[in-house]
Amino acid sequence: MKSVRVRVCLGLTVAALLAGCGGVKTTSSGGGAEGNYPTGNIQMSVGASPGGSTDLITRAIAEGLGKELGVSVPVVNKPGANGALNAKELQSAPADGYKIAVQNASLFTITPLAVSAAEAVKIDDFDLIGGVSQDDYMLAAHADSGYKTIADLKKAGKTIKYGTTGVGTGAQLASALTFKVAGIPSTDVPFDGGAPAMTALLGRQVDVATFQLGEGIENVKAGKLVPLAVFSGERIKYLPDVPTAKEQGFDVVVSQYRFLTAPKGTPEEVKSKLFDAAKKTFATDAYKKFNEANFLTPIEVPPSEVQKMLGDSTSKYKGQVEQYGIKLGSA
Amino acid sequence: MDASYEEERPVEEERPPPAGAWSQLTAALVAALLGVAGLIGSWRLGLGRLTEPGPGLWPFVISVVITLLSVVLAIIGRQALDSERFNRASLLVVVAVVTLVLLAVAMPLIGFEIPSLLLTFVWLRFLGKESWRSSIVISVVTVVAFHLLFVTALQIPLPRLV
Amino acid sequence: MDFLNPVLDGFGVVLEPANLLYCLAGVVIGMLIGVLPGLGPAATIAILLPITYGVEPVAAIIMLAGIFYGAQYGGTITSVLLRLPGEASSVVTVFDGYALARQGKAGTALGIAAIGSFIGGTISIIGLSLLAPIVAEVALDFGPPEYAALALLGVLLVATVGRGGKLKSVIAAGIGLLLATVGRDTFTGASRFTFDSLNLADGIDFVPIAMGLFGLGEILYNLEERHTRVQVPAKVANVWPSRSELRQARGAIGRGSVIGFVLGVLPGGGATLSSLVAYAVEKRRAKQPERFGHGAIEGVAAPETANNAAATSSFIPLLTLGIPANATMALMFGALLIQGIPPGPQLVSEHPDLFWGVINSMYVGNVLLLIMSIPLVGVFVKILRIRPAILAPITVLITLLGVYTVNNQVFDIFLVIVFGVVGYLMKKFGFEPGPLVLAFVLGSVLEIAVRQSLLIFEGDVTGFVTRPISGTVLGLLVVVLVLPLVKIVLKRQRRSL
Repeated sequence: MKSVRVRVCLGLTVAALLAGCGGVKTTSSGGGAEGNYPTGNIQMSVGASPGGSTDLITRAIAEGLGKELGVSVPVVNKPGANGALNAKELQSAPADGYKIAVQNASLFTITPLAVSAAEAVKIDDFDLIGGVSQDDYMLAAHADSGYKTIADLKKAGKTIKYGTTGVGTGAQLASALTFKVAGIPSTDVPFDGGAPAMTALLGRQVDVATFQLGEGIENVKAGKLVPLAVFSGERIKYLPDVPTAKEQGFDVVVSQYRFLTAPKGTPEEVKSKLFDAAKKTFATDAYKKFNEANFLTPIEVPPSEVQKMLGDSTSKYKGQVEQYGIKLGSA
Repeated sequence: MDASYEEERPVEEERPPPAGAWSQLTAALVAALLGVAGLIGSWRLGLGRLTEPGPGLWPFVISVVITLLSVVLAIIGRQALDSERFNRASLLVVVAVVTLVLLAVAMPLIGFEIPSLLLTFVWLRFLGKESWRSSIVISVVTVVAFHLLFVTALQIPLPRLV
Repeated sequence: MDFLNPVLDGFGVVLEPANLLYCLAGVVIGMLIGVLPGLGPAATIAILLPITYGVEPVAAIIMLAGIFYGAQYGGTITSVLLRLPGEASSVVTVFDGYALARQGKAGTALGIAAIGSFIGGTISIIGLSLLAPIVAEVALDFGPPEYAALALLGVLLVATVGRGGKLKSVIAAGIGLLLATVGRDTFTGASRFTFDSLNLADGIDFVPIAMGLFGLGEILYNLEERHTRVQVPAKVANVWPSRSELRQARGAIGRGSVIGFVLGVLPGGGATLSSLVAYAVEKRRAKQPERFGHGAIEGVAAPETANNAAATSSFIPLLTLGIPANATMALMFGALLIQGIPPGPQLVSEHPDLFWGVINSMYVGNVLLLIMSIPLVGVFVKILRIRPAILAPITVLITLLGVYTVNNQVFDIFLVIVFGVVGYLMKKFGFEPGPLVLAFVLGSVLEIAVRQSLLIFEGDVTGFVTRPISGTVLGLLVVVLVLPLVKIVLKRQRRSL
């Protein structure tokens, strides 16, 4: 008797499943005629946990987009695989402009050098909306170590232990390249993110470490860490006295930058509407202050330029990694 | 041993009859199989050397420990009385798990409301033997409350209809 | 007296009515969030972050901090009542807390946890006020070798908790260690046991494992039990711990405070380790260690005191070094940045009002939480009066939807179901989930720290012993774990003579 009832109920469930298909939403996103986009909420997904740079940037942009477009712009965190999980989800979302994301350059230019092909994502699978900002890397040593430049590391005449913030990150590539180009014997000590790497450097468990500006700049200002180099093309306004690696004679230019993406095939007018709204957001004082507070350099450029930057860095990194025989991961 | 401990003990020990040597052997075998699977998997990943460990070395070491201890369990643990026999009521667990899986499958397709409603209803009426009336009332109230809590108050992006 | 001025000013800041209100709002939200398993303080703070943009920096951080330690309080409630630990640091509480609840002493367990949390939190704040800069410097001496030694100690302690057979506990712990290796290897980037699934690339989350093995596994088990045996209605007595119970827990609370404060300073896993160590210390000191796992008061008091003390002291690395010690602290870091106050070594000197305002708000917040607990414990205990047939589906739904919110992935719901079935089967076959879950948490710390150490030592393993702190911890480990074994062997030999 009981089992019959259970079966009836399961049948009901299946019927409800079939009847109810379609019309499901996570953040009540909109739809409908293209001309008057947007008619509903625009969801921005983040391929990282709350609190990281990508998350904070997305939330700042979401707030601005919401004001400009007059719809609400909820942010959803989908952390996993350095953002690849979120990328794959965005890739298969409908290309109607109601699901967009800020993504990292390193996911497309560096991570594929370290992971298997199945886990790598390609920028060609997305439409670019526009550039956002650049987040630079610095190489730093403990103040008590006496190192001031990359050349000092070479003079030390020992194997330099360097901390990095994980496999397939710009920090790993930048430091591996530096030591190879400069011909300094070195050991890579990977950490699970910026905070443990910073702890190890402050505790002098490693000789030097590479991390993003925002993670270490306060300790530089406090005189606990000494920046040896930044890895941007030109000097960074937040650390104007620190020479780039290139200035010091080592051709290592690695930066993290972020840009707005949509699923492939999103209509042109939708993308331009989004980029216009983003540009208006970028122009607000609140957003400019946000960039300063997070040590970000704006690169609010059109999609074609982002495409070019990505293409250039992909081929450059690939060439350098091959030239110097660097192994970032298992790929 | 103090007095309160004496009187607490019987409540804790109230467990169904032990299942016997076969069940102990099965448990040990499953654990051993897991260990062997780990051995093979980590071997394939590459062990490296002790001073320069590959990705598989650490899981390999753990797998060896699991496998060895499971064999020991199979040999000396057969007489233990800490396992329980399955019975007719165990089938309810199967039904319960099926409802959970259906919820997980259906949620992204039709939102969480209908699957949640059906799940609570089935659990109340058929697994819990509550009356029809209270089953319906409680399941509706539960889903409404969850909607208010997760969607309205906390704005969590659950797949949903409303 | 120069030193005292900013501290007193800090109290002035907190006692402004608006800030008091934010503190209250924070701890209330935190407590409620803590009760919902899966929905951790990190997710809540992320949701509330935009609201704080328009608020004064001090008020914003006071509120976010309140959410954080308020959630620690709330997490205890589900661990004790429903066997659902929402965070790794409340897993240990489950062992004796849930046992007490089954004996009708849920009120006692929650009451002692509230008192322990209050004392642990307060002692930790005093430590934070007086010692923060010194402690932060000491914490920096903890490099990978020290973490390796501590994590090893933790993993070995794991097998001694819970009440299952020793051999089965060790096997379960081994499986936990193996599960911790799932995901992308930090060192080589190789994907281990992920079966090419991106969902597993970062490994398995703690929440689906703990909620599956403990919560859902228990529900499935009880479902079967309900239909095989006459149901004894759950007793709900002793709404507040008695004087003798308080006396019994006194030592555990004192030691738990110190252990929690010290280990909480260490970034990553400090809170979990502290609850485990505090529990193990009490079990070792007890005259009848066999009471542990069957509802020992100290078994609740020690880990709950320790994890709250640890939650408070985990602010130290953030406020003095600018290093976020856990996911919630990473959000605080972001919140401070957005407010234009970059956390770092100069925070205390440049923003003393914020530093002391936040620290002193914790005194107030802890008092508020204790006051709230007194009536709320009575309310929450009533949950157990609900018939299991009704409570079960509601708990299941909270679990499934709660686990979804961690990563917003349906995959995690499937994971919790799988681990629920595993938890049920483990119970049927006499395995304890506790060792598995704790070993899982400590496993990745252990592996990463050992491999980092090997790189730092350039392959020379003697480094573990020659470094003062790791050497001491390893020595302690030998004394605590190996000596009892030697004693047993000696005793047997004597007997056979």
